[in-house]
Amino acid sequence: MICVLFSSAARTPTNSVVVERRSKSSKSYRQSYRSCVGAASRLCFTPGFTARRLNASRRAPKSHNVTDKVNPQQLALLMKTEWQLSYVTPLYQFRHTQLKSYSRQLSAFIAAEKQQGLAVEVEGAQSSFRVSISVVQGMVEADDDAETVLIQIHSKLLFAKKDEPQRPVWSGWLTCINGNPDYLRSLPEDFTCLPLFCSSGGEGLTAVVKSWFQQTFDCCFGTLEINHTSLQWLAALWTNCHAESSIQHLKMIWTLPVAPPLQVTYTVDPHDAWQLWSSVRKDPREESKGGEEAEEENSIDIEEVMEFMQGLKGHFYRHFRLDLSAGSLKQVTTALGSAKYSGKIKISNSRYMITTFTLLTECALLKMPL
Amino acid sequence: TVNLNFLLCVSNCEYMNMFKNQIHTVMSAFPPVVEAGTPVHGNDEVERHLVLVEKVAYSKGLPPEAISVMLEFAMSLRMGTVLCARVLRCLIPATVVPQEAVVRAVVWLGVGKIPMSTQVLFIKWVLTMFDMIDGKDQLRAIYGFIFSFVTEENLCPFICHLLYLLTRKESGKSFSHLRYGPFIQRFPQFYSYSLFLPFLMHLLSLYKVLCPELVTLSIPSRMRWVRNHNSTWKSTLIGVQKRNGSQAASSIGLAFTIKDKASSRKRKHTHLQLPALSSVVNKQPQSEPSSSRKLVPLVQLHSFAQLLENMHHIELPAQMGSLLGSSLALQYLDFVQDESALLRLNFWLGYALYEEFLFCGDGGGFQNSDEALQFLNKLLSTENFLQGGFTSSEAFLYKFLTVWDGSLLRPQILALLSNIPVVPSSQIGRLLFEPLMQLFFTSSVFFKCGLVECLNSMLLKWLTWHSVFCLTLCSALCPRNMTLSGFKDSVMDLVHFVGQLASVGLQLEGCHSLLLSFTLDFYETVCDMFLKYGLPLVVMPPPGVFYPTLFATDPISVDRLAYIMYRYKVNLASAKSQEKLTEAFHISSQTFHEFNHYVVVMVNSLWNSRMFKPDMDLKLSEELLLKSSVPQHWTSFDLIHHPAFMSYAIDFHQKVSVDHIGNRPFFSLPPLQAFLYWCQGALKQGKVIMSLTLSLVPD
Repeated sequence: MICVLFSSAARTPTNSVVVERRSKSSKSYRQSYRSCVGAASRLCFTPGFTARRLNASRRAPKSHNVTDKVNPQQLALLMKTEWQLSYVTPLYQFRHTQLKSYSRQLSAFIAAEKQQGLAVEVEGAQSSFRVSISVVQGMVEADDDAETVLIQIHSKLLFAKKDEPQRPVWSGWLTCINGNPDYLRSLPEDFTCLPLFCSSGGEGLTAVVKSWFQQTFDCCFGTLEINHTSLQWLAALWTNCHAESSIQHLKMIWTLPVAPPLQVTYTVDPHDAWQLWSSVRKDPREESKGGEEAEEENSIDIEEVMEFMQGLKGHFYRHFRLDLSAGSLKQVTTALGSAKYSGKIKISNSRYMITTFTLLTECALLKMPL
Repeated sequence: TVNLNFLLCVSNCEYMNMFKNQIHTVMSAFPPVVEAGTPVHGNDEVERHLVLVEKVAYSKGLPPEAISVMLEFAMSLRMGTVLCARVLRCLIPATVVPQEAVVRAVVWLGVGKIPMSTQVLFIKWVLTMFDMIDGKDQLRAIYGFIFSFVTEENLCPFICHLLYLLTRKESGKSFSHLRYGPFIQRFPQFYSYSLFLPFLMHLLSLYKVLCPELVTLSIPSRMRWVRNHNSTWKSTLIGVQKRNGSQAASSIGLAFTIKDKASSRKRKHTHLQLPALSSVVNKQPQSEPSSSRKLVPLVQLHSFAQLLENMHHIELPAQMGSLLGSSLALQYLDFVQDESALLRLNFWLGYALYEEFLFCGDGGGFQNSDEALQFLNKLLSTENFLQGGFTSSEAFLYKFLTVWDGSLLRPQILALLSNIPVVPSSQIGRLLFEPLMQLFFTSSVFFKCGLVECLNSMLLKWLTWHSVFCLTLCSALCPRNMTLSGFKDSVMDLVHFVGQLASVGLQLEGCHSLLLSFTLDFYETVCDMFLKYGLPLVVMPPPGVFYPTLFATDPISVDRLAYIMYRYKVNLASAKSQEKLTEAFHISSQTFHEFNHYVVVMVNSLWNSRMFKPDMDLKLSEELLLKSSVPQHWTSFDLIHHPAFMSYAIDFHQKVSVDHIGNRPFFSLPPLQAFLYWCQGALKQGKVIMSLTLSLVPD
């Protein structure tokens, strides 16, 4: 049984529909513009005119034991936080060996910026921000990936007592998981490609950190949305993990371009999602017969993802006479994590985070101007 | 508790006439109808009203009465906290903010149900609108009440600022006997709150000036308020006031120093700003010992002489994007040809273009097209200076062409397009021709002219590049390692493409003479490719261009066609003679054949009066010609009867009959030749005479 929920907080019985309407008429033009560009922006040409697209096929997520490679304490910092994604153009003359000096520079920079922001200029105010920049050892997949860099900012609260310890107020990390090797190798040695920037904390600090990176490494930051296709990929990839690790539910939020816009929250029972997914899989058992080698290559095609989504949409249509393919997917949530169109991602289970971040790295690389 | 009559208030404001009815409905919908606890989620009606209020607020500003009602509505949290912040954001006054409304809202702060972030937002709003509040006396009356919020951690800086603005000598005095006196005395205990202190100290310094007996602390003298708290409101407010033509605009300028106008614009769209030219912070430690000479940052150079002097030890700026604004820096960039530096510049440039024109999710980029225009102009002047396009602008254009409407910043985009370096023949169709074809056939005749002109200028640049670099056999300078045959293929593709566009375009636009003129410009470039640019390639125009030109009604087009044919002849003859000498290249006999055929047609129709004879390209059935009852139809396109020259013929005829004998030397010539000379004089720069020397080139 597939259970459908609409966006009101209470869980409604199956087949009862509570339709939430949310007018965003002022944004409809903008959205249509974006969708028109979205299709085109997937195409990108390197100077050599090779067209880059989102991979049409990717390896099935394997339960990576990231904890084997990555320090669990550091890993814990990356989990359970909702990150706002950005893409970053390659960093010029970034050295993983100089992170200590970067930390000092960044904290001085923040202090200077904060001083400007204060209503009053005070002499001799000591820096109340402590920045630590560190490498997350092991947070890489391919040989060409640059090591992940974690930035943490600690500060004292305004009314904190003198002896109270500083608390983390902002964190962010730059990463590259399974970046396209051709692209990475095409860059000169002076450049370090860490295309995905995740941040969490006050917008003010995010802006300051970004501007420091821009001035120091001559790079640019832009917002990274998780588009319709990527969200569908995530829904399928996460569902694919259900056999090993329960997804508990597959929740999707769709918006439909009617006036006023309609928002539909569609929650699917994990077993039903898994069954549907298994039925659209191109006989994975047959492939795995080839032994361990074949299982390594076990891959998921975009066709399977589309078929899976089609199945979900078809079911919805049968019950509610509403064709979701007219709308777009805005959010996907499972027990493994959640992803939003606005570029927010939260990972709740570290075992599959590599797959998720491979997809996101790819999205970020697609946004690169060159 | 709100009982304001909105119909009345709105009708009082003349400038609101347009929105009168809507506003009336909106306002009447808000206060009386809305019950506490009405659901916000999924409430379409509220949403619709709010959108309307926002629209009015951002375009015209809200009248004072509307401000009161909306503020009351927001702060009373009648519909929850979500709407509260949203309403606050759109509270842009058209004229003034009623003091009572602010006072009432401050009182709502005391109720304590409003989330902290919204409370901060409200105080920021009051600070921004401070000078618009129609009176301060009642606010000063609740000075003490406002003061009590100082202990609120997040509110403190803003409350201090507000108090600073409200404080008068009397208010300072009034505390001394009120309960705040001791409070001020206990200020030193706030020392532990290091960040909190500056705001209070600043307020204290004011008290000390007003009532020195109250404050015994020593206050640092160097202190000043640095910035205004919310720039979005301020810029919207200025915009609204400009639109309303209100004189109040100037009073705002005094209260808030607009430090930098550019950044007060929407924060999101700052990508078009050039970064400042600044030197590198992170000096590479390993490079310092090896290079004994000191590197000079580009920022420190101010003249070309200084640049020359330090040419070999110049340090590039921290952000390459800053070079775009400095011609000195561009000269240096042109000189060094540093791959990393160019790549950095390209990354930045590509990012700016993409964010502005492709990724601008909310369409913001298109709203400030003024800035975009300036940016593109700057980019164009840079590209012209460097005599070449940037890779990133090229990559950007390939994407942008597929979404371009053909009118947004047309001159700039077409100019950028013409800077694209040679595109390999295998890619040119997909990258350029497909999107351009779509645009061409769906746009006005002016776009068509613009595009043909742009492609002509692109071809000229390619040919110039070829004649300069490839003849010197310096392959390092040839981008994309293009071979001569590869280059020829690309040029041929481009010429054929324009031929196709022009053929269909001329047909669609009824042989528009402007479009024809741009097409002929293009073929003037094409016919001379061999002699002027040393490219062993001759491509004839398609019939769709040749015939409409031959039968054009304006003499200049026919004249130019004759000139183009003449240049083709010179080029082909020269190619033929070189071919015999070197055999380095070969012009296909098909080209000669086409040329000869066109010449035969031209000569037959213009000179020999053999139009519509069986050996011509154009065949009309005998009956049809008879039906037209044109006498001697075979002469209708000869030089005298051609529609383009008819007026000249009549003129000539009159001239000859007036000056009977004729005082000009060429009247002694046979009449047709005399007519041609005369035409040449009449056309000023006429080239008709050239067709006299036209003759066939053997295939």
